Amino acid sequence: MKYKFIHPEPKEDDIVGPKYWKSLDEAADTPEFRQWLEREFPAGASEIEGVNRRHFLKIMAASFSFAGLGLAGCRQDEKHMLPYAKQPERNVPGVPLYYATSMPRSRGNIPLIVETQDSRPTKIEGNPSDEFYNGATDAFAQASILDLYDPDRATKSLNADKEPISKEEVEALFQKINEKYAAKKGAGLAILSEKSTSPTRDRFVAELKKLYPELIWAEYEPLNYDNPLKALQAQFGKSLRPWHHFEKAKRILSVGSDFLGMESGHLASAYGFSKTRKVKSTADVEKMSRLYMVEADFTPTGGMADHRLRLETANHAAFLCAIGAEILRQTGGSKALISSLEQKSQGLNVDPAWIKQCADDLVAHKGEALVAVAASLPEEMHVLAMALNTHLGANGKTISYTEVPVTDAQSIDILAEAVKGKKVETLVIMGGNPAYNAPAKLDWANLKSSVPEVIRYGYYFDETSEVSNYHIAANHYLESWSDGRTWEGAYVPVQPMILPLFDGFSELEMLAKLLAKKDFDPYASVKETFINLYPGKNFDEWLSVGVVKDESFKPEDIKVDVAKVEKAVADAKIKPASFTVENLDLQLTPSRQVFDGRYNNNGWLQEMPDPMTKLTWDNAILISPTLADALTEKFGYALLPKPSLMNEMGQANINAAHFDAGKEEAYIAELTVDGQTIRGPLHIQPGLADYAVVVPLGYGRKTVGRVGMGSGFDAYPLMASTDTNAIRSAALKVTSDRYSLANTQEHWSMEGRALLREASAEDYKHNPDFVKKMGLESHSPSIYGTASGDSAKVKATQIPRGGSAYKTPDFKGPQQWGMSIDLNTCTGCSACVVACQSENNIAIVGKDQVLRGREMHWMRLDRYFSSGKDDKTVLPTDPQVSFMSMLCQHCELAPCENVCPVNATVHDEEGLNVMAYNRCVGTRYCANNCPYKVRRFNFFDWNKREIGHFYEGPTGPAGMPELHKMQKNPDVTVRMRGVMEKCTFCVQRIEEAKINQRVKAKDSDNILVPDGTIQTACQQVCPTDSIVFGDVADPTSAVAQAKDSELNYSVLGYLNTRPRTTYLARIRNPNPLMPDFHDQPLSRLEYEKRYGHAASHEEMAAAH
Amino acid sequence: MANIFPKWSNKVPIRAVIGILLIVVALTIGVTYYFTPKYANVGYQPIQPVAFDHSLHAGQLGIDCRYCHTYVDRSEHSNIPGANTCMNCHNQVRSDSDALAPIRESYNTGKPVYWVKVHNTPDYVYFNHSVHVNRGVSCVECHGKVNEMKVVFQDKSLTMLFCLDCHRNPEKFLRPIDEVYNLNWKPESEQAQLDMGKKFVHDWKVNPPVSCSGCHR
Repeated sequence: MKYKFIHPEPKEDDIVGPKYWKSLDEAADTPEFRQWLEREFPAGASEIEGVNRRHFLKIMAASFSFAGLGLAGCRQDEKHMLPYAKQPERNVPGVPLYYATSMPRSRGNIPLIVETQDSRPTKIEGNPSDEFYNGATDAFAQASILDLYDPDRATKSLNADKEPISKEEVEALFQKINEKYAAKKGAGLAILSEKSTSPTRDRFVAELKKLYPELIWAEYEPLNYDNPLKALQAQFGKSLRPWHHFEKAKRILSVGSDFLGMESGHLASAYGFSKTRKVKSTADVEKMSRLYMVEADFTPTGGMADHRLRLETANHAAFLCAIGAEILRQTGGSKALISSLEQKSQGLNVDPAWIKQCADDLVAHKGEALVAVAASLPEEMHVLAMALNTHLGANGKTISYTEVPVTDAQSIDILAEAVKGKKVETLVIMGGNPAYNAPAKLDWANLKSSVPEVIRYGYYFDETSEVSNYHIAANHYLESWSDGRTWEGAYVPVQPMILPLFDGFSELEMLAKLLAKKDFDPYASVKETFINLYPGKNFDEWLSVGVVKDESFKPEDIKVDVAKVEKAVADAKIKPASFTVENLDLQLTPSRQVFDGRYNNNGWLQEMPDPMTKLTWDNAILISPTLADALTEKFGYALLPKPSLMNEMGQANINAAHFDAGKEEAYIAELTVDGQTIRGPLHIQPGLADYAVVVPLGYGRKTVGRVGMGSGFDAYPLMASTDTNAIRSAALKVTSDRYSLANTQEHWSMEGRALLREASAEDYKHNPDFVKKMGLESHSPSIYGTASGDSAKVKATQIPRGGSAYKTPDFKGPQQWGMSIDLNTCTGCSACVVACQSENNIAIVGKDQVLRGREMHWMRLDRYFSSGKDDKTVLPTDPQVSFMSMLCQHCELAPCENVCPVNATVHDEEGLNVMAYNRCVGTRYCANNCPYKVRRFNFFDWNKREIGHFYEGPTGPAGMPELHKMQKNPDVTVRMRGVMEKCTFCVQRIEEAKINQRVKAKDSDNILVPDGTIQTACQQVCPTDSIVFGDVADPTSAVAQAKDSELNYSVLGYLNTRPRTTYLARIRNPNPLMPDFHDQPLSRLEYEKRYGHAASHEEMAAAH
Repeated sequence: MANIFPKWSNKVPIRAVIGILLIVVALTIGVTYYFTPKYANVGYQPIQPVAFDHSLHAGQLGIDCRYCHTYVDRSEHSNIPGANTCMNCHNQVRSDSDALAPIRESYNTGKPVYWVKVHNTPDYVYFNHSVHVNRGVSCVECHGKVNEMKVVFQDKSLTMLFCLDCHRNPEKFLRPIDEVYNLNWKPESEQAQLDMGKKFVHDWKVNPPVSCSGCHR
């Protein structure tokens, strides 16, 4: 009997709004948003600038008739094949070579494996040989390969007149310096450098100091993460640093520490933390960790928290004192310390129950609890945290202390003094960009007048180069020899895999020049360092593995001196402050896209939406909805979407939305701190502390390449007067000016319908099948009909039709590919977005096109806020956030395939939904019919035309720069204008693995690719192993087992699309005793308010 | 009586004739180009910078394909040998031949020899040599009897239909792994080929892809 399913009439609530909302407009459900949602492509996307469609068709008809005459031009050209004159060994054309190297960072290198195609580095992956990082990398490392091929990088060294100088002239310049300062013992010579972890560099610096005893060697990083180190140094007289072991922690309190994002060692932290959050069945719930987070900003770490306290940054220290007092009281801490802490936290406006219950929970899990504090907190607070962790029995378990090598370097302030005193004759600035990010430390504009000779060594011609006499071009790290250590202390190489593309020098070469080393060989220097550090170990093996196995910083036993702690805490100047709209708390944060500004010219990072704000190409002054309300009242500009959708006349309220066809029209505000004023657009970010102003750094560069030019505003002037972490109060003034922010949060919105499924740990224990009771499919018979009990293999290969109207393809392939994404461990770091872009030759489209909703990312990270309320008139201030990565779901019954008039998108035998670009004629019907909105259309020849010249068409400059071509993955087609594209499940990697397996199999039948051989780009990069890919027809595969979990569900499963990508529901683990406890996640509360209590079809049938 | 037709209509017939002629010419050119093997470049036999004679090396002397095309069983490309491969023998044999001057020059200067590409598939086709030669598909199936060619030419159409003919009916083309590089090998009969091919398809689990993802990415 045919069963016809009738959709229930939508309830009032259904029409008013979906239950998860991604932006304030969506929450208020403004008409603009409705319109946005109902269109497949964002409104601007399909309109042609300046030409109406009819006119366009007329022109095109004419051009087609002319095109017909040119048939003969298609004849194949004579092509040449150029073999090597002498074939080098091991280099097999067409087979990529992989090199182990690492990305130098100031706080710790990231170990990498880099894929090279015909000697061109094309893709960066994490090195799985490193035990702490699990082969993960972050977005910065992924995107760094683009910098190598950046046409805007400094290709030649320049003199003061910006004329190129040859390598020989650079040599001569340094020879002169050597001669001059060797005689003067270095007096008058100063070097300002970036921080580095390289032992070889350290060795060279020591040699420099020997050669030039009077030399000023200074190091500077704009973002200071050294407070823990300094604090422990003062306590123990040794360079000790805490090392958090999240994999062992069951109760975590993070005071402002974004340990999954920006704090040091974040990749290892994320991997460790995720291990405690993997839930496959109810048995795992007990093992789950619980995260308490206190923060002003809303970071991805805050998004993972089970309890989140919004608190202005300035009060974090007072909070730590308050909870510290409670913990010490319960664990028998010193009376004097307790009373000192109590006194310092007096007047802190935080619910005492929150503090009490959190402390109780931590103390109850002695030995498994951990207090992590932001590196930016004052040094005394790190001493206190150490004391608290000791009292919680954390030492040696969830936290250890390791001694780390520290370079003996002066601070930039000392250098600035010397410059002011005219004691510096030659200043060499190695790397960094202090003229931009240390504006107040030196009088940059007049630097040349106080220092006769400024030599700048850098990768880009930037602000610092502007104020220097010479710019020496730097090599990329993929072109240089060096070494380094990870944050955890593993010794890793930096080895080149391509000869320098331009006339640059590596950092070691620069130091060697200063050291007057003749015939310098950086390879030999690194080898020497290696042999000194690890005598007896094999250098070549180190280069091929990329890490010295089982070597990391060793934990040290520490004995806490209570008196010293008491003194440190007593000395701390801490006083809880109260903030109002007149007196705001300011937090300057590194940008998650461009960090401190160094990645500003990287298009992948610029276009990667910030996981929380979803902004691209800009930063913004982030404020809370509460503050927005207050500012609206104060200045009279409506900052918030009006809750009422109609005005008095009954017409749609024009001002109801900030969003006009996907453009966020933000008000520009003036932010004043200590007399310094900057201007920037306001972005209202739910979840911020009420009176906190959060400003990401790294934008508003003045001398930068074409990509970064014009992006965002510069917030470094606010850092001018004191150091980065100093606490200052700020004032905001809203102006009437508006600014368009390219915000992707409403792009590709999907209708509600239980996209996200979440439960609290407690509820999950009692309702293990809650996932099945949510969404529309819970009210209908199973889409698999009578076959719902069949194995995954039968379901995947034979597809019982279950009454589907769609024509189903045959899945006869021996392996059936599928993916599982664990929402429980996805931290929203967005590394997958960039990894996908890098692997699949995905184009950058530029801000103007993002504003039109034409970004090309195959993988997007949907960020949902939920408030738990169903009230559309009040803006939520304290929402929970959930991330969901959304990519082509590879539906077995794909709606896109049925509407394609030219069969350009079809299924293959192994369950992939494939796109044949050559067949695609660009009707975009498929994208229209895709319920997941994961298809992307090439509105322009992104790869052929330059950003800014898209609209000129054939009259504009054509051709991709040679440099850009070098980065492209040769295994993936570079798409042209007019074709649709989407996630392919990295089909090139699948085919490569299949071919390799068959080559091995020869005349045997061993053709099945072993599980784990194929890793998609997004899976490989994921620090938390949230993404699992493999053969769903093999019950032993990791992906089949993940999908076996009762938490497994399909997004929009009731559409009977049968996606091959499924998700594991998120489990939150709140503490029932906490004052902000909800028995369900907020998203679930919203769900239940709207649809009633979750129940399955059978249960409902029984009730009727 | 006024003219019914305006003056320009006098020219309509001649215009129509010219127009029709133009269309006919375009159609003729189109058909001769696209509907004949020319479009598929069968028979394409460019002049190479060095008159390398496959019939001498691979045929008469019996040098294995893989002596020069070293990576055919390891890579997607079947590489063109570097000058060093030629010089292995030719530093002894005919070491002063004029015909070999470009090879010697390449070997000495490091500049590559500009061989002209004969077999060309479009950029969006990701053909892989290694998976074919390792699974019983001989060179001869796509390249013809190169061992009998004095100057290499394109023997097969190499169109998508050509690929699919084999991918749909692999049993007609598979041969024992040992005979892959033996371009002279022939099955005893058509029936013998089919019987053997079917056995190989079954025993080796041969399942050549016939959907887009097999070759287009």
